[in-house]
Amino acid sequence: MRHLTEHNALSRRGFGLGLLGMGGGLVIGFRMGADAQQPAAAGPQLPAMIRANPALNSWVRITPDGAVTVFTGRVEIGQGTLTAMRQIAAEELDVAPERITVVSGDTARTPDEGVTSGSFAIKLGGSALAHACADARATLVKAVAEAWKVAPATLKVEDGFIIGTGQRVNYGEAAGLVSLVRPVDANAKRKPASEQRIVGTSYPRTDIPAKVFGDRVFIHDMRPQGMLFGAIARPPAYAARVLSVDLAPIKAMPGVVEVVRDGSFLGVIAKREEQARAAAERLATSAKWDNGPALFAGKNVFEHLLEAPHEVKTIHELKAAATQPPALTHKRTYRRAFQAHASIGASCALAQWQGDTVTVWSHTQGPFPLRVHLAKALRTPEANVRVIHEQGSGCYGHNGADDVALDAALLARAVPGRPVRVHWAHEEEMAWEPWGSAMIVELEGSMDADGRLTDWNHDVWSFPHSSRPGPSGGMDGCNLRSAWYLADPLPPSKATDGGLPNGASARNAVPIYTAANQRVTTHYHQVMPIRTSALRTLGGFFNAVSAEMFLDELATMAGRDPVSVRLANIKDDRLAAVLNRAVAMSGWMPAPVTAGKVLAPEMRGFGVGLSRYKNQDCYVAVVAEVAVDTRSGAVKVRRLWSATDTGRAVSPDGVINQIEGGMVQATSWTLIEAGRFDAGIMRAVDYVDYPIIDFLDTPVIESVLIDRLDQPSVGAGEGSQAPAGAAIANAIFAATGRRVTELPFTRERVRAALQA
Amino acid sequence: MIELNVNGRQVAVDVDPDTPLIYVLRNDLALNGPKLGCARGQCGACTVHLDGAAVRACQTPVKAAAGQAIVTLEGLGSPAKPHPLQAAFIAEQALQCGYCTNGMIMQAAALLKAKPQPTEADVRAGLNANLCRCGCQPRVVRAVLKAAGKGA
Repeated sequence: MRHLTEHNALSRRGFGLGLLGMGGGLVIGFRMGADAQQPAAAGPQLPAMIRANPALNSWVRITPDGAVTVFTGRVEIGQGTLTAMRQIAAEELDVAPERITVVSGDTARTPDEGVTSGSFAIKLGGSALAHACADARATLVKAVAEAWKVAPATLKVEDGFIIGTGQRVNYGEAAGLVSLVRPVDANAKRKPASEQRIVGTSYPRTDIPAKVFGDRVFIHDMRPQGMLFGAIARPPAYAARVLSVDLAPIKAMPGVVEVVRDGSFLGVIAKREEQARAAAERLATSAKWDNGPALFAGKNVFEHLLEAPHEVKTIHELKAAATQPPALTHKRTYRRAFQAHASIGASCALAQWQGDTVTVWSHTQGPFPLRVHLAKALRTPEANVRVIHEQGSGCYGHNGADDVALDAALLARAVPGRPVRVHWAHEEEMAWEPWGSAMIVELEGSMDADGRLTDWNHDVWSFPHSSRPGPSGGMDGCNLRSAWYLADPLPPSKATDGGLPNGASARNAVPIYTAANQRVTTHYHQVMPIRTSALRTLGGFFNAVSAEMFLDELATMAGRDPVSVRLANIKDDRLAAVLNRAVAMSGWMPAPVTAGKVLAPEMRGFGVGLSRYKNQDCYVAVVAEVAVDTRSGAVKVRRLWSATDTGRAVSPDGVINQIEGGMVQATSWTLIEAGRFDAGIMRAVDYVDYPIIDFLDTPVIESVLIDRLDQPSVGAGEGSQAPAGAAIANAIFAATGRRVTELPFTRERVRAALQA
Repeated sequence: MIELNVNGRQVAVDVDPDTPLIYVLRNDLALNGPKLGCARGQCGACTVHLDGAAVRACQTPVKAAAGQAIVTLEGLGSPAKPHPLQAAFIAEQALQCGYCTNGMIMQAAALLKAKPQPTEADVRAGLNANLCRCGCQPRVVRAVLKAAGKGA
């Protein structure tokens, strides 16, 4: 098995700052929302990421020896995106995928594509790279055609050789005929799907061999010469500040090299990792702290969401000219607990100062925004900070990745020239990472006598779904946590709620169903006593799960089955196609749910969930079969079936891996995951207090992909969570005839609902 | 100094005998296979073999490993000579981020040694204390059954 290197190894990068400044020609600081929503003008439009990074040689470079390097601002977070980028580049360039070097997420070398999130990597980053590579190929072919005095169409390209009229020349020589140092041409044409040979195949992921043989892959595995280990002494509560602390006894502990204090930021640098951890723990417990005010003023978080000051905004409204009086109306409130990313490997970073400049190796999703906020917190110009992406454990959104990068940089500053690695403890990650917001969704709707929705009102109460670092000049304050604890603190940036069509609190709150009258209202809390940020799908999971639960309740009231009621209320054939396919696979014969049925010791049922992620990305339908132990309340998800349409799938197996992984993760979110906190801090900090799904509880899964060669590739990484959660919720409802309205559906909660 | 036998090689390390084995393997011996996960024995990412038995390196003091054959993921197989599980994990693309993969393979290798022809239920039970957050459990089960000469 051939080993490919996605990222240059540390030694090959030169462990210094020699490359700093290479990014001088790159455009930085684009604003995702504005770019992606720019209205189409006349003539061909460049992909948004190219408008932000217009230079062709910022995407693809060819050296005289014919070596091909492509550059992407997107980063590998375990989703296989760099393999997909390699496929895309190989396809458009007609170069064997294994001959391409892929450089990713380096503020000194790659395009600034903001954050690898929101299922945008292939949709936006992939389309940009494809366009640039198509331009490069056409440019090289045209230059050779002119040299040979033939029409470009008479030439073909095979693995980086331009061939025709009995001659052949490689890309390296062709690149000598023409400059690729110019803006990307908006007129470049990508290959039609019918000519694709690499895109659309399940090309094996190039990062997997290294991961199964124990090669160096993760930041956690980086061990540059002279490296020291750092650890942070965490406060006992989020609002806590140091009253007094004696550093001398900590300095005297075995292996301790430095103890760092800056206000209430306390950390230790030691020769050995376990020494750093032990010293940091003692530092934390020996310091005297003022814990600050109680979280939510001692109230229940759901009371806080309803009662504390917040912003109310109606963000979507449709009104029919005239409607028939509805046959039935229904209203229900659903709630979800705080939920965690709970990565298996806690967040980690490596930092090294040389003079005024610092290099930080990070598994951040956004190397460029991280650089902006590191520069703020370190009070140094952005040009003095280089961020290089290296892989970490799966993050599933905004976990501690960015915050630990500042921790490493703050500690490393105390030992100039020495690399310092900080790898948070798991319980530190769980307590200090941003959590997925607790949420309340209230739905009110009506249906006419034919089973058609007439009214659909969706209200959502939520804390922020992003407190990430942002672009240069984009926001005040600093979203790296330790900056809030410095002697001269930087406050967190003011959180804002993402608008439609992507939405944040209201992601997927706009119904996929054709109700004549629709309204979506957000009740947004900018202040977050427990810091929240992006957990995979943002508000999308719970909004769509709530909507799907609500629709099944309406269907039951109308005496209709869950599948026909959906088909009667959708117009999009692609939604209908995934729904019909998933139902057919499952063998389920849908029937109206009987409310309040008599309970046997075990009840079984089927349920369905349907969603189009962000109302614009992949279509996914999931059918679940559950068994409910009606005495204990335990729910067993026996099987899940899914059908997915993500347009043209770059890697069908990659899509299925994401879809099925999301279904397993959503099963865990839906049944068992809830953050528990006390007056000051999250207390669910290990796998006993915050369990995640295990092998015995993982359902049997069957999935199909409906590949649409004629449709653009859209995001798939977050498409299955909501329909999976909804299918499970609706299967419990079908099995028992009773609705559990608060996630997770723990056995206590299910038992209580069954006994009510 | 503590003498250890790691992947067939004798090495001596100068550490506190109570140091958890995971730190010694990763930081003193520069091995990448075993991963530091929860450090509480709850996730399985640090799993190694001691005389063939799968143990949690985060819960094993280095002194307890002295005198036993320590095998890590690196010692299990290589690209030139992969262990059947390593080949099967590649064939089934049985991971996403890969942080838990060490534990999955090392735990499964011990399982297959004790039970060369496991059922799917055996595999699920045998790996139940190994956590995967990406949700690759179905693929991991398929890969283990494939390595055992069964299944996909």
